[in-house]
Amino acid sequence: MTAKKLLASALVLALLQIGFLGWIIAGRAAILRNGTEVLLKVEPVDPRDLLRGDYVFLSYEISRIPASLIANVPAGQASSDDGPVTVRLGKDADGFWRAKSAWLGKAPDVPANGEVDIAGHLSAGWNFTHDTTLSADYGIERFYLPEGEGMAIQQDMRVRPFGVRVAVAADGRAQIKALMDGDRMLFEEPLY
Amino acid sequence: MASYSSRVTADIERWTVSGLIDASTAEALRRDVEANDRRSLSFGSVLAMMAALLFGAAILIFVAANWEAIPRLVRVSALFAVILAGYVGGAVLKNRGHPAIGEALWIVAAAAFGGGIALVGQMYHLAGDESSAVLTWCAGTALAAAMLRSSPLTVAAVGIAVGWLVMNLLGGFRLFGQSDFPHLYVAMAVVLFLLSYWTQSRPARHLILLSLILYAALFAADHDMLQVSVALAVVSAALFAAAALAPGPVERIVQLGGRLPLHALIGFLTGMAMIQFAVADDGRASAGFAVASAVALAGIAAAIVLAGRESRGLRWIAYLGFAFELVIVYLVTMQTMLGTAGFFLAAAIILAILAFVIIRIEKRWAAPAAKGTEP
Repeated sequence: MTAKKLLASALVLALLQIGFLGWIIAGRAAILRNGTEVLLKVEPVDPRDLLRGDYVFLSYEISRIPASLIANVPAGQASSDDGPVTVRLGKDADGFWRAKSAWLGKAPDVPANGEVDIAGHLSAGWNFTHDTTLSADYGIERFYLPEGEGMAIQQDMRVRPFGVRVAVAADGRAQIKALMDGDRMLFEEPLY
Repeated sequence: MASYSSRVTADIERWTVSGLIDASTAEALRRDVEANDRRSLSFGSVLAMMAALLFGAAILIFVAANWEAIPRLVRVSALFAVILAGYVGGAVLKNRGHPAIGEALWIVAAAAFGGGIALVGQMYHLAGDESSAVLTWCAGTALAAAMLRSSPLTVAAVGIAVGWLVMNLLGGFRLFGQSDFPHLYVAMAVVLFLLSYWTQSRPARHLILLSLILYAALFAADHDMLQVSVALAVVSAALFAAAALAPGPVERIVQLGGRLPLHALIGFLTGMAMIQFAVADDGRASAGFAVASAVALAGIAAAIVLAGRESRGLRWIAYLGFAFELVIVYLVTMQTMLGTAGFFLAAAIILAILAFVIIRIEKRWAAPAAKGTEP
């Protein structure tokens, strides 16, 4: 490789990697900016991640869905396959959004006014047959905190109801906007 | 202070200018000098690489600390700047005849890319998929290795891939209870192996072969599958035979500096040990265990006879394997202590006869050829 070619390769490579990261950031910022805002109720689970410092693991009310809520379980199927699930959320009187109905895969129609579809993931092996609840995840189960603040917030979560404001894009992808301690805002995310 | 390689590089430059050789020949010569120069790693380049790894670790941990005093946008921009400065600055330094520092800067840039992925995950609270984050990092590093034809970056990509494999198996990624075995690793290893030819990275090929042995051993252990262990032993034995019987053609394909038999022997011994563990239930030996132990010992003897003369490393691995076999056979008693003693006695007699025959043959060969060969 000649000197000029090497330099050009290095420059293109740097721009490719920076562009890739920038593209992800832009996509996430777009959800924050344009997504529909919903308020979800949380319960804490456990913190700490090796590479990313402190976070609290968030478990939402909508993380557990009653099996009866899923409208399109194929006849004869006893347990879930690994795959996507769409959950339709509606706002209740207390301000929190809760699951109103759900479908395996995509929803058959567009949500009505005041409703939002959130895209989730259901792992294999959940029982459909009885009156059970299924556990779904939405890619918003973590909240990263500055080093050292995770434990305190987790303690508070055990005694008070916390909420998370989430922006949901039209395709159902969700993005955390803010962490709320009751009515008090703890952290609000800037676009970038 | 000019080393041999930098003098030759200057000569090649001069020959090209004066028209003695054409550009493609010059390029081929330069790469050959560079690839063979790596054997004599200087202290300076080792320290530069260690410094680069420390820088990389510092970047990753700084991201993890999520320090609020610096706004995120500044942190992201700083990482972008490190990526740009690392790759471009490394290329500039390499062009100016400081390959070690240049390669070290590339490693820093690759680490900054990994830090960037982690920071984006942190900024937007992306949950769950560390596995694909590490895969993305690995792909980005492999791309960098390909575009810059860098051996250290190839090794780094292999290292990240191995880290991904190990973290997957240790359960670091099994957040939502996925328990699939990471077979994707085989595909990654193949791609990285092919990449290592382009980047002339022999260390990467060594690392990949060792990691594949690790993969097979973990797979066999995880699934309790005898077939995998048997396959590992058989494939290793076949590779060993190929490398020992046709060293020239095999070396031309794998380009491992004649070390393929070492890897094959390690793979064979690992496979046999897994088989022995599998067939020995409750510390008591079965007929299968006796057969497996005999095969392992025969394999070690064959390895020494076929390739032990050329390679001191192979001899040492064979001795280690032999010692391990003695220990495992001793621990897994053959029905009775008497049985174990009998097995050792039989093995000792066979080895003694083999040694006697081989010493006779070597003497006969050595007599006419005489002098000059390694004792």
